[in-house]
Amino acid sequence: MAELRYVGKGLPRVDALEKVTGQAMYTLDLTLPNMLYGGLLRSPLPHARILSIDTGKAERLLGVKAVITGKDTPYTFGVSHMDQTPLQTEKVRYVGDAVAAVAAVDQDVLAEALSLIQVEYQELPAVFDPHEAMQEGAPLVHEDKPGNIASNPRYDIGDVEKAFREADYVFEDHFETQRVAHVCPEPHNNLAVWDASGKLTFYYCSQMPSVTRVQLSKAFNLPESRIRVVTNTVGGGFGSRATSKFPMDFAAIVLAKKSGRPVKIAYNRADEFIHSTFRHKFIMTVKTGINRDGTITGRHVTNICDNGAYSDYGPVVTNVGGALQGTLYKFMNYKYDGYCVYTNLPYGGAMRGIGNPQVHYACEAQLSMIAERIGLDPLELRLKNAVETGDETASGAILQSCGLKECLTQAAEKIGWKEKKANPEPNRGLGIACGVHFTGVRLSPGIDADFAGATITVNDDGSVNLATSCVEIGSGSSTVLSQICAEVLGIGLDKINIICGDTETCPMGWGSRASRNTAVGGMAVQKAAEDARTQILALASQKLEIHPDDLEIKEGVITAKGAPDRSLTVAEAVRFGRYRQGGTAVMAKAHWDAPSTLADPKTGRGNFSMAFSFGAKALEVEVDPATGRINVLGVAASQDLGKAVNPLAVKGQVEGGVHMGLGFAMYEQIMLDEQGRMKNPYLLDYRIPTVMDMPPVIPILVESQDPVGPFGAKGVGEMATIGMPEALIAAVAEATGLWITDLPITPEKVFLGLKAKKAAE
Amino acid sequence: MKKMISLNINGESYQVAVENRRTLLEVLREDLKLTGTRVMCNQGDCGSCTVLLDGVAVNSCLVLASDAVGKQVETIEGVAQGGALHPIQEEFIAKGAIQCGFCTPAMVLTTKALLAANPDPTEEDIKQTVAGTLCRCTGYVRIIDAIKGAAARRKES
Repeated sequence: MAELRYVGKGLPRVDALEKVTGQAMYTLDLTLPNMLYGGLLRSPLPHARILSIDTGKAERLLGVKAVITGKDTPYTFGVSHMDQTPLQTEKVRYVGDAVAAVAAVDQDVLAEALSLIQVEYQELPAVFDPHEAMQEGAPLVHEDKPGNIASNPRYDIGDVEKAFREADYVFEDHFETQRVAHVCPEPHNNLAVWDASGKLTFYYCSQMPSVTRVQLSKAFNLPESRIRVVTNTVGGGFGSRATSKFPMDFAAIVLAKKSGRPVKIAYNRADEFIHSTFRHKFIMTVKTGINRDGTITGRHVTNICDNGAYSDYGPVVTNVGGALQGTLYKFMNYKYDGYCVYTNLPYGGAMRGIGNPQVHYACEAQLSMIAERIGLDPLELRLKNAVETGDETASGAILQSCGLKECLTQAAEKIGWKEKKANPEPNRGLGIACGVHFTGVRLSPGIDADFAGATITVNDDGSVNLATSCVEIGSGSSTVLSQICAEVLGIGLDKINIICGDTETCPMGWGSRASRNTAVGGMAVQKAAEDARTQILALASQKLEIHPDDLEIKEGVITAKGAPDRSLTVAEAVRFGRYRQGGTAVMAKAHWDAPSTLADPKTGRGNFSMAFSFGAKALEVEVDPATGRINVLGVAASQDLGKAVNPLAVKGQVEGGVHMGLGFAMYEQIMLDEQGRMKNPYLLDYRIPTVMDMPPVIPILVESQDPVGPFGAKGVGEMATIGMPEALIAAVAEATGLWITDLPITPEKVFLGLKAKKAAE
Repeated sequence: MKKMISLNINGESYQVAVENRRTLLEVLREDLKLTGTRVMCNQGDCGSCTVLLDGVAVNSCLVLASDAVGKQVETIEGVAQGGALHPIQEEFIAKGAIQCGFCTPAMVLTTKALLAANPDPTEEDIKQTVAGTLCRCTGYVRIIDAIKGAAARRKES
């Protein structure tokens, strides 16, 4: 391959200037003339029949411009299950379920109007525990869902019972994870406006604006051409903006219609915690068969996902939780039973890794426990079973690139695994864990597609407008896609104007989810850029009278190979094409659908992603036995990303992944009271790690050169956060002798565990 | 009851009619449309709304607008001068310290206040300063790099 000029370089972000000067406009910053402020009235009860709603007083309040209830929003929506309506008419299903909405001239009038709406409820028995919810006779959250089961995804590959019978050991352990929030810096908010012709413009910080448009079109029975969804700069997504699906969105749109004025609804931080979804709580049992030499023979995972009152991504999360555990190690007998169970609690959604981090935690934590029990080194045990390039895994993944072993050995080396294991110090411990995640995914039954789109227009002056279906949510996708475009076209990065987030100007695609922007989005850009390059060279060929194959483009100049005196700029070629009889413009477009397949509905097997990214986390802790305080001394985080298109940006992603994983492992927890009200909906009480909590991080990039992705690249964002709690549990166990199997691993749990241990001795 | 107050923001004088209870953050974002000052929690926990008040970094959500009268308010909009970025801003870009960008204005202003008070900060000083501002994307690693870079450049010049 020729020397790369843009790909592989740690170039500054293309959106850095607007962000560092404060000029970037987030949706939260947008206002329109005559705009109203909207808000929702929410249920104070976890499960209750609605007897009446009286909005009269609110409607008569000066400054109130529209009041709506469920009668005004007869829409059902959902991701896999259409089990939700924006405003409830019959019954409420959790504390916070929306029943009415108001648009008013300012926030003060809005708050007063909401307090004037009178709702009469008849309380119903509620269920808050997924185990209880599955019992016969339990209250039903949705009457048409017996046993409160939203979904029951299964994987059944090979013969796991036989694998257990033939194994030297079989271990079974239980694990629980907690609800953790995305904590997007920019709270969820929107702005809806209908023009005089009845066209809707919806400003919305979505990770997938073109999918949002499809959903709104279906719900409102409006042609897509009459809907424009615009996503401005996005203040973090992490999965929470992976569709438009919130009652607040329907409310803003209907209030805007009814009032004839633009309506904005913005969450405060407490709303954001409870009503923007969160990572589901999983209750897991892992059973593993293993031989004396460390060969894993088979594994069976049972998982109960506490769905909350509505499904949102719950069934998908429960499914993905099982999908990847047959793709990390070489065993070919794998079973997964997932239960996604409704309760009268706030509902979860997609969050960075979409179910995979929870199940990885359980399985990798158990593997470290097993290593201790049978006396093997946890690193060696993983290396012995690790999948490799060329493997077709139990899950059905065909690994065309796999840097798992290198991820493990490099992370171990950087943390000083061998030396420290050989010279253990009191109250210190080491932990290692590895993982796998997909790069784009084809797991939704009924949607056999995983594509991105790109369009390229080359302008009169040789500059380029590149429109992509990928949204820049902070990860750096706009920079990386611009680099790919510059590389393929042979023009400067400064010549590229990337456009994203507007359904009026950007192509359809599945947006920014599932770690897919660089690879899936990048392939669409690469294909479009190749087409544009061909068009440019055809024009240059006519002008220079040289065969296109003998031409090359560098820094916007087209030259004949071996005859640099015969040249033309890209701008000149474009102008040559434009300003003549039968003129043409250089325009190219591409959609690229990832070469993956839907899973076999019977076994769950399938090659469901274009590529699989691997990674490992190795970390060291020191525990204070007097207080239980855990000090993470350092983290080595390795990531097999195929090829680092922008090493600077991707190291930032890996470090940010460690931060979010550390929060999941030891700091963060949504705490609910006995009625399902959040007890800590503030950033002081729900603490994400501050800079003081961050250990030194060593990011390690493993370039396995995937043969499918652009320039060899695979996904990063989600794998980057996987592995922290599972490495931490092992490190804390080595330091204290305690295996803390319910997250988060807090000083309190360590302290109480050590106290109990001492008492038992 | 609204009353007229005069605020000096980024060297310019603004006359605004405000109710006593309105915060500086609300006046900046809502009345003056200086939206570069971000709002993440609006209760003093996150630091996103940091501005400089007579050179000191404060959470503008915890300052009444009327208490800023007679003081110099500096927001992110005032940091780049005459079309040229401040060296702190250049370092944030060069070191890859920006992702979603929501905390960036607060981080830049915090750094400016830190370096004015302490031109040669240790890593611990930097961490203590940044600790009041939350970032959900970067893990802070490159933010610390950028601040170190800005301190080094300040020393050189």
